[in-house]
Amino acid sequence: MKGNIQKRIIKDKQMYLLLFPVILFFAIWHYIPMWGARIAFQDVMYIGANKWAGLKHFQLLFSSPVFLKVFMNTIIISSMKMFLIFPLPIILAFMLNEVTSIGFRKSVQSVIYLPHFLSWVVIAGLFISLLASPEGAVNKVRIFFHLKPIAYMTSTTHIRWVFVFSEIWRSIGWDSILYIAAINSIAPALYEAATIDGATPFQQAMNITFPAIIPTIVTVFILNLGFFMNAGFDQVFNMMNDAVINHVDIIDTYVYRVGLMQGNYSLGTAAGLFKGIIGLILILSTDRLSRKLTGEGVW
Amino acid sequence: MKRFLITLLAMTVLISLVFVGCKKKEEAPAESQEVPTIRIVGKDFSPTDDINLQFLEKMAAGFEVYSGQKVNLELVQVPDGGYAEKLNLMLLGGDIPDMIYFQGGDEAVSKQGLLVDLKSYVDNSKVMQNVLQDFNKQRIANYPYLLWIAPPRARVALVREDWFKEAGGKIPVTVDDYYNLFKTIKKNHPDAFVMTDTGSPTRMDFTFDHAFGETATWIKQGGSYVYKKVSDAEKEKLAFYQKLYAEGLFDKDYVTTKWDTMEDKLYNNKVAMVFGTSGVVCDIYDTKLQTNQGVGLVALPPAKGVGQGYSVSTAKETRGWAISATSKNPDLVFQLLEFMATDEGQLLDRYGVEGVHYTVDNGKYTATDKKSEWWPRINEVMTYDGPMPLLGALGLKSWDFLGEYVVGDPDFPIPADMAPTWDALINLYKEYNFKIITGEYSIDKFDEFVKKWYDLGGDKITEYAQGMLK
Repeated sequence: MKGNIQKRIIKDKQMYLLLFPVILFFAIWHYIPMWGARIAFQDVMYIGANKWAGLKHFQLLFSSPVFLKVFMNTIIISSMKMFLIFPLPIILAFMLNEVTSIGFRKSVQSVIYLPHFLSWVVIAGLFISLLASPEGAVNKVRIFFHLKPIAYMTSTTHIRWVFVFSEIWRSIGWDSILYIAAINSIAPALYEAATIDGATPFQQAMNITFPAIIPTIVTVFILNLGFFMNAGFDQVFNMMNDAVINHVDIIDTYVYRVGLMQGNYSLGTAAGLFKGIIGLILILSTDRLSRKLTGEGVW
Repeated sequence: MKRFLITLLAMTVLISLVFVGCKKKEEAPAESQEVPTIRIVGKDFSPTDDINLQFLEKMAAGFEVYSGQKVNLELVQVPDGGYAEKLNLMLLGGDIPDMIYFQGGDEAVSKQGLLVDLKSYVDNSKVMQNVLQDFNKQRIANYPYLLWIAPPRARVALVREDWFKEAGGKIPVTVDDYYNLFKTIKKNHPDAFVMTDTGSPTRMDFTFDHAFGETATWIKQGGSYVYKKVSDAEKEKLAFYQKLYAEGLFDKDYVTTKWDTMEDKLYNNKVAMVFGTSGVVCDIYDTKLQTNQGVGLVALPPAKGVGQGYSVSTAKETRGWAISATSKNPDLVFQLLEFMATDEGQLLDRYGVEGVHYTVDNGKYTATDKKSEWWPRINEVMTYDGPMPLLGALGLKSWDFLGEYVVGDPDFPIPADMAPTWDALINLYKEYNFKIITGEYSIDKFDEFVKKWYDLGGDKITEYAQGMLK
């Protein structure tokens, strides 16, 4: 066994050499910092060693009168984003795949990638202006059609949808890159054979393209689940206001206010650890479920 | 294979730990034994800005003249991002400068004994006794770790002069006077709102709180202290705001308005009135409105009713300078702070760098174009009278209001273990406040809010307040 490994390393040494910086990167930025998570169980001291605090910070986190509400807001906003947005980049990739003009396809791709590079501060400003009532562009259109203007940004029934829509606007193009790449790797001979057999474009999409990218879809879905509890701090923080705060306050914004702004890092870390554990459980259980149902998993 | 991967990962972690540990040993500066170094960290006070370094040189030279002591002043860079958050992380990382500016997050640090108690320093300093105002002294007595020499931060009502004159030009005194002024302005300019605010009516509260009886954060009601936001006075005030909103006097989009959009609304004829921080901010609004609309602003006093004034918390400084308990030269750091509060120090701090922000010709001081880019880095003594005006007429007027109407508010900080509850109570208030003002809830719902507020944990904090305010 040992000999096998050595042989493989020698044989593929270039590959392992290429892999090394990546492992180093993850070790430095993702594994070593995990050691810092122990402050969730300690009282942080500016001078001298930290003091052991046990589960005090978790108790403080869970005993907050709003924790359940904040937790539920996180679940609701994350679920809306996860399940409503997830299929859209796949559909977009399918649609772009059907565009025959390369020039047009590239132009569309470039345009839809751009919002990804805008910060949430800019996007929030944009949406607040667009959705203002009654001055915003959207409400002007509504007024033109004799519809009542809606104060989207201050409406508790609409604000979460504003999050979903702005997330779609920002991410759909960028998120479709993986699927476009997966589609491009499908052998053209399969489509040629299907065309000769008389398959329609829709049949080709359903019977060739879709099955071919299922592993990519499954992998992306499972990995996304790991970030399920990250409902989007930047987006929520920039779009939140007093009118809707109790409907959009998520764990991250809560921890920012109560933990970080007051220098209570242990509380912030406790919340981060709680989120991380939920993410890990979700990833592992979805991976197992996926293996049972489709035979495909992340690893 | 698994064992191999684990070995590879372990090796990588080990190597990276070694790399992390192998931080290049910085050569200690050849510190002269006679010249001590004071390391300073402040907000927007970066060592990468050449102007700050020039200022620091002048500061050190001035200090030498003042104290006869040579000193090296060194600025410490705070990582980019929110200052309070990054500063605390820096301190946590063990980099603790001698002189630290805090803008929040200081309590966790002072509780651990990392900050020097400044009470005796201040008490024994003639300079400080002269420049500190009563509310500053009370704050130092309550919380002796932060020193902040600056005017109190109150928001003064500012109305555009032409619309104000058109509406009669009479300075309003009572809430009714204000309401009548608002109605007349609206009648003359139906397309505009009279006033706006930024996210919540907190700026507006400076003008109306005392008139409705909210003369402090905790007010006496029925023999005991109640939090002002759940008091009868708050109910009356919210009913008034609701009326302003319903009649189109108060901006419909105030809740999504930020400070920059608030200014835009003023400069583009969308509102007649904003509430600006007293002092130079008022002058900035005035100048910008002059540029955009060719008209200036008029400052209005707080409304008179049950009381009249601007509340200024005496609990503690919310920002300010602290001296690290790990500093080798705490006396020298305090002396430096003291020097910056003297006339010589203020000349430096208020006017900037000679030759850059102002010039002196035969004893005559002239501001350059760059003067508007300068702001005091250390102290802003309100009573300092310099060789050229520091404020315009509007800024000075707003300071006059401070002198006349500032009232001490014996507030107290909420303890850390009550912080999550306090956060929940604030959010509950924000929701009801918005819904009542915009008319989604009738004012009768205020009683429901008060009950919920106490049930959610307000009762425990109120009980705590009784003890604190004894």
